[in-house]
Amino acid sequence: MRLILCSNSMADEVEQQPSTNTVEEPLDLIRLSLDERIYVKMRNDRELRGRLHAYDQHLNMILGDVEETVTTVEIDDETYEELYKSTKRNIPMLFVRGDGVVLVAPPLRVG
Amino acid sequence: MDPVDVQGQSQGEVCSSLRERSISENSLVALLQGMQGHVTTVELRDEGWAQGRLQNVDAFMNLRMRDVLYRGHNMGHTSKLQDLFITGRNIRFVHIPDHMDVLQTIQTQLQRIHRVRTFNREGGGGGRREYCPKKK
Repeated sequence: MRLILCSNSMADEVEQQPSTNTVEEPLDLIRLSLDERIYVKMRNDRELRGRLHAYDQHLNMILGDVEETVTTVEIDDETYEELYKSTKRNIPMLFVRGDGVVLVAPPLRVG
Repeated sequence: MDPVDVQGQSQGEVCSSLRERSISENSLVALLQGMQGHVTTVELRDEGWAQGRLQNVDAFMNLRMRDVLYRGHNMGHTSKLQDLFITGRNIRFVHIPDHMDVLQTIQTQLQRIHRVRTFNREGGGGGRREYCPKKK
């Protein structure tokens, strides 16, 4: 599978896929989200929200303007209540290794 | 005695293995290879991180870094290391420096790979052919 790139500044792609606009395989669905903001669920209770600049067949991705959310659960010793805490972090440009990715979706709309 | 770099690849030098070249040119590892020589932060799967100069990246995303500030997952402090090797599997994120043009870096790296291929070809047919012409 060829590398798919989308750039804000340049109209051309580095390598062209056999040009097809139809969605044939699941990875084509990700192609539809190129240069859009996406939501990525990762392993170890992490989530990313950012703009998808590039991806490949392993789901290695390059995301811009990323917000990473790490969610932890603390259990109160006495009441055994589950306390969900999340830590957020912003990174301007990030390369994500594909084996950590669980799912890719459009950004979740609240409400 | 200083250990001699077996690979000793300077920035942008392409791996001589055909297999690794093919893997690199078909995945985003090419971007990381183009970043060789730059200072970046690599976040690890086990919650540690390493900040230093990317010396070499192979097709499997194994990294070598120099002059690294490294914090392991269970360490409260950072260590300064002259040389660090990170297995590709252990990488979670790589921070891309702000000044870097992603598209240009990838294109440059792909050109370097293609140049190696055509260099072999130009040896008057004496070089090993990497692309066989389509057989009838």
